[in-house]
Order: sequence, then structure tokens, then C-alpha cells
Amino acid sequence: MTYSVFKSIKVINPATSLNDVSDVVVENNKIIAIVKNFKQEDLDDKRPITSYDCSGLVMSPGIIDIRVNIGKTENLILTQKIAAENGITSMVILPNQTPKLNNPSIIDHIQRQSENSSLPKVWVYGAATKDDQSLEMCELGLMSEMGAIGFTNGNKSIKNSLVLRRVMSYAAMINRPIIQHAEDEDLSGLNQASTTSIKGEMNEGEISTRLGLIGIPSCAEVIMIERDIRLAKLTGVHYHVAHVSTRDGIDVIRKAKKDGVKISCDTAPPYFTLNETKLLSYDTAFKLSPPLRSEDDRLAVIEGIQDGTIDAIASDHRARSKDTKIQPFSAASIGASGIETLFLVTMELVNKKIISIDKAISLLTVNPANILNLEIPSLDQNKNATFIIFDENIPSKIDKNNLKMSPTPFNGRKSFGKILGTFINGQPSFIHNDLKVKVEK
Amino acid sequence: MNKFLKNNQKNKLYSPVKLSSHHLLSIEGMTKDEIQKLLDRADFFANLDRHSDTKFLPGYVVLNVFFENSTRTRVSFELAARRLGAEVINISLINSSIKKGESLLDTASTLNAMKPDLLIVRHPHSGAPLLFADYLNCSIINAGDGRHEHPTQALLDALTIKRRIGRLEDLKISICGDIANSRVARSNIHLLTTMGAEVRCVAPSTLMPSNLEKLNVKCFYDMDEGIKNSDVIMLLRLQNERMSGTENPSEREYFKFFGLDEKKLSLASPNAVIMHPGPMNRGVEIASSLADDPSRSLIKTQVEMGVAVRMSIIEALNFTKNQT
Repeated sequence: MTYSVFKSIKVINPATSLNDVSDVVVENNKIIAIVKNFKQEDLDDKRPITSYDCSGLVMSPGIIDIRVNIGKTENLILTQKIAAENGITSMVILPNQTPKLNNPSIIDHIQRQSENSSLPKVWVYGAATKDDQSLEMCELGLMSEMGAIGFTNGNKSIKNSLVLRRVMSYAAMINRPIIQHAEDEDLSGLNQASTTSIKGEMNEGEISTRLGLIGIPSCAEVIMIERDIRLAKLTGVHYHVAHVSTRDGIDVIRKAKKDGVKISCDTAPPYFTLNETKLLSYDTAFKLSPPLRSEDDRLAVIEGIQDGTIDAIASDHRARSKDTKIQPFSAASIGASGIETLFLVTMELVNKKIISIDKAISLLTVNPANILNLEIPSLDQNKNATFIIFDENIPSKIDKNNLKMSPTPFNGRKSFGKILGTFINGQPSFIHNDLKVKVEK
Repeated sequence: MNKFLKNNQKNKLYSPVKLSSHHLLSIEGMTKDEIQKLLDRADFFANLDRHSDTKFLPGYVVLNVFFENSTRTRVSFELAARRLGAEVINISLINSSIKKGESLLDTASTLNAMKPDLLIVRHPHSGAPLLFADYLNCSIINAGDGRHEHPTQALLDALTIKRRIGRLEDLKISICGDIANSRVARSNIHLLTTMGAEVRCVAPSTLMPSNLEKLNVKCFYDMDEGIKNSDVIMLLRLQNERMSGTENPSEREYFKFFGLDEKKLSLASPNAVIMHPGPMNRGVEIASSLADDPSRSLIKTQVEMGVAVRMSIIEALNFTKNQT
């Protein structure tokens, strides 16, 4: 039962449009004051105070990462810990795990297993259908009662139009969003039932031709989004497009938003920083889904972020073992680690003056909460003391050898920023040695 | 100096080419000068009496590691290595790399532990030889990887053309057939454009890869137009599984529009020659009579040149490795 005081810290709080240097006082799990020139006498008792010297540092709400694959449920706690070290205070798990998150009891199990007030809160998406290609709807209502906050088939599209229509309609009834990995899997050759020998491996274009890898045309994304928008209009569901990666896809979403469709979308760091030319050495760290696209698509993602078409940035974390990545490109697994680089790579947008720091923080915190109807995180009096502390100016370089999960598509990438502390419910979930602490009586 | 030449230093025939890498993974990235020198050296070997003493590499160990079926390429490499005096071991690993639980890297490091000097790799996955090159100490030759490249095929094709026509520069060369899935096509495109030939690609639209013109070629969907006035017509094999389905409606339709027959050939340059990397589907890519026409078909010469080209490469890779 102590007080913590964060002195002279720049508080960036999108919910109240605050960006100002103050002292933040925390008691137990609540922020009790954000004031200028805090003095000990202001407190009405003499309990010890843990004081943090935070001049030059920034405090913001913790990151809400709305797209995390944990692979196996055993990895859950480790993923939570690593997430905390990287400024993530809530994360949403996709249902394509082993075992699949397609029934109420497993949803319940995940949440109980992850419950720890000083680790990031784990939310769960339920599977929309029993299997990826299934025509059977999962128990959306029961899963929702157990805490599922949205429904999706994760890394696979909900393909059948009739099934999707019904899933959307049902989700609308229980007020949950449908999250879609937008890809026409027949066109990309990734449909399991496909009769063709073609299996898409990367973005289609000059590079795929040079490398002799099977191309996935970028329109595989927009085809799905266009169909889905029609069904979203028909059913009134909140439709969310995950990891948008193409200019056409973003244009269609932009227009749908103008037309008043209940639609939102996110993207992931690879899609605004990297393009398909990264694959020229067959480096499997860049084998992602959706695939890295053309430079024009990358620029469109940036435009989408700037003009608000893209609502959020998520890590799209999908860690893979080295064994499955040290393979010929065609045989290697799909996906890359993301929770350790989400903050840094997003900060790159700030340092390159593409977006303001306030906007970057919104994309990582308030906006994801909005999309998923979660409580909007806010650093304000009487609000929950869940926040991160970081240095926005310190140069940093991503080194794959210093990361805990592999692979990273960002090895060697330079940015600015460093997470120095992650506080969840008032407790220090992670504190970097560089954060100066002093205990006063 | 070549460590394998201890007792053989005075062999006047020994005159290897130095390359910029001790691997041959792709034609893309090779310079005109390197290609020219390799072709000249191969030409020298091709002119040599088969019993000449070219055993420059006694004790040199070559592993022929094939993850895909092959007869002509494997035998050609083996002969080339043997004519250089090397020891050759053939290892067939068909399907084993794709089986679950088996790591290509484990296979590679096991082979590496046996300390070969050269690994010749054929693999169904594009880029696989690059992976070997990253993790092994020896030289690697890509003997065909997926849809990516088949560099020695392009070199032997080039030598075949040079010996028949005398040059590559400014020739009109039409590559016809399943370009999308062909590693032979890609290597040939890179080599021939580097050497200054005009390359035209002819294919049904379903078998033409995306943005191919960025590789400095012209694309044609009408074979008559694509081979008009061409000096060389290279045909590609149409894999059985693509003869019907969504890439191509039927064998007979393919032959009608993209198979080479007398009538289409008459549109090419009067002395145009025909090439095919083999094995051929007679009556699909090429009319049988044309394949056997000695005045037109260079198909057998291609096979013959394969050995000479591969000798020049093995010799060059060993020399380059010992120089670095």
C-alpha cells in the first residue's frame, strides 16, 4: 500500500488530448493525481513513496495489441511477459492456436490461465467456424459470454459467403465484431481443397517472376474486402479487416467508411516499412501472410495511417521456430515475431515525421480499444494505473540476437525509442534498469 | 595454386577461369565477361579429344545431390567431373526433403561433415541451393531449383548457339512454352539478355509470369508473331500435370497454338535452329519430324555441350575457391 510518483513526465493521453509535462501520482492500482509540482505534503498520510525520476520521458497508456498468435497455449505466459517488456498491456489472441479456440471452455481456460494482475490482460477472439473450411458456426453466444470479444478465423479467411453472412448476422445480434483475414484463398492458391498445384508464396510481380516463387496477386485482398462489405451492409455487423496491405484494399475501406459502413481496419509494421524486394535473398523471415507487397502498396498503407482510414496498428505476432524457418522458401513456415518490435517500428513513423507521437499512441492504444469495445484507456484521475514509460529520443537498433522470439523481419533496423517501464494495475510489470527509482519516507 | 595439381603442374591444358564467386547459384548477377570466359573455356573442352588428359582435379570430391529426378543433368555433371579426374558420389534424396520432420539443413550439415569440395544440388524448391551455400563450406552448383534457375543449362544452350551461329549478340531468340514454371527459361533470359541477344518469350497467358517484360524481354501470346524472323527457337517442356486443367485446356489445343510445326517454323529466319532442354513431349511442344531434323534441331548438340560447359564450371569454381 504505497504511493508511486512519476516526476516531470510528459503525459500523452489521447483520450483527453493531453500532452503535457506533469507529475503523476499513483496509489495502489489507481492514478490519484496528475499535477504540476507535486509535493509530499499534498498527500494526507505519511506512507512511503516510490519516486521515479522521469524527466525527459513519456508516459502513455499501454499498448493494446489486437493481433497475437501464441502458437500453442503453453506459450501464453511467456508471450505475456515478453509483451510486457515491450510496452504491451493488453493483447488479443487469435483462435488458430493449438488447441483451437473454438468453444466456450477453451476461451474460459485461456483467460483463467493468463490471469495475473501484473501481466498484460489477455483477450480472446473466438473462431467463427469450427474449422477453417467448415460450414458450421461455432457457439458465438456462449463464447461471447465466456469473454470472446470478436470472431474470426484468424489467419484464414471466412470463405463461404453464406456462412459468412450468417456468422456476421449472428455476431451483429450479440454485438461482436467480425475480424477478417481478407484473402481470396482460391485466387492465392491457398485453399486446401484447391485442385491446382499452385500455392501462393509471395506477392505477384517482377520479384516473384525473378525468384521463381508463386505469386499471390494483390487483388486477392480487395476481392474479399469488397464482398465482405456487401455482407456487412446486409447484416449490419461491425466488420474489421485485419492487416490490410494493399492500395486497392485501403481505397475500398476508405470509401466504405465514407458511405457509413460499420467498418474498421488495422495494419502491421511490416506493411508500412517493408516491401517485396526484401525477398530477393529468399530470406524466410520475410515470408508473411499477407505477403510483403509492392512499394506503391506500402506507401498506400502509410497514407491510410495518415488519413485515418487505418484505425490501428497491431503486431501480427506469429513467432516461428528456427527449424521451420531455416528451410527453402517454399517449405518454410509463414509469419514472424512482432511483439518485440511493434513499438519501435511504429515509433519510426514518428521519427520520420509521418505521424505525430499522439497519433502513434492512439493507433496503439485508444483506437484498438474502440474497435473492440474495450474500456478506453485513459491516464486521468481515478483511472486504472496501467501505462508505459518510454524514452522517445534514444536511438535504437533492432538486433535479432537480442530478441527473445524469432524470426524478425526488422533485423538491423534503426529507430528511436525505448520502453523503460510497463505498469499494469499500478504494479511494475517491467522496469528497465535505466529508470531511476528512489524510495522516500 | 590449385591444390589438386601437385603432380600435374605442367599440364598445358589447365587454364581455368576465375569467377567472382566459388558458387554457381544463378545466371542473374553474372557479368558478360564471366559468361564469355566460361563459354570460351567450354568451347575449348568441346573441341578437345575425349581422351585428352584433363584430369586436373584428382582427389576432388563431388557430391551429386538430387532431390528431384534427373537423368541427363546428373549424368552430364558426373561425366564432366570424372573427365576432370574428380571423384563423384551420386545421392538421390527424392521426396525426402519434403517429408515432415526432416530438415534440409540437417541433410546439408551431414553432407558437409564429409568434407566434399563441391555439391551439385537439384531441388524442387526455388532458392534451396542458396540455403546450402549459406551453411556449407564447399562450392555449390545449382543444378536446377524449382522455378528459379538452371544456370548450367543456359550456359550449354549459349555454347550450342555460339558454335552453330558464331555469336549471341543481336540474335533474335524466341523462348516458347511454359515460361511461368520454367527455370530453364529464367536462366536463359538472364544469360541471353546479358550477352546482347533480343529475347522474345512466347506462352499462353496462363503460363506467362507476371511482369516478365521487366527482365528485358518481349512477350508474345501469338506464336506466329513471337517467332517471326527468329534465329533460334527454344522450346520448353510442358509438364504433364499442366496439359489439362486451368492453365491449359488440352494437349491438342496447346499443340495447335504453341507447338512448333513446319508451318510456324517457316515464319522464322530461313536458317533458324530449334532447341529443347529435354525431355521432349513429341506432338505437344514440337512436331516429331522437326525434333529429328538434323539441319534444324540442335537438341543432341545441347546434350553434348553439357559436359564441356560443366567441366569449365567445375574447374573455375575450384580455382576461384582456392584463390579466395
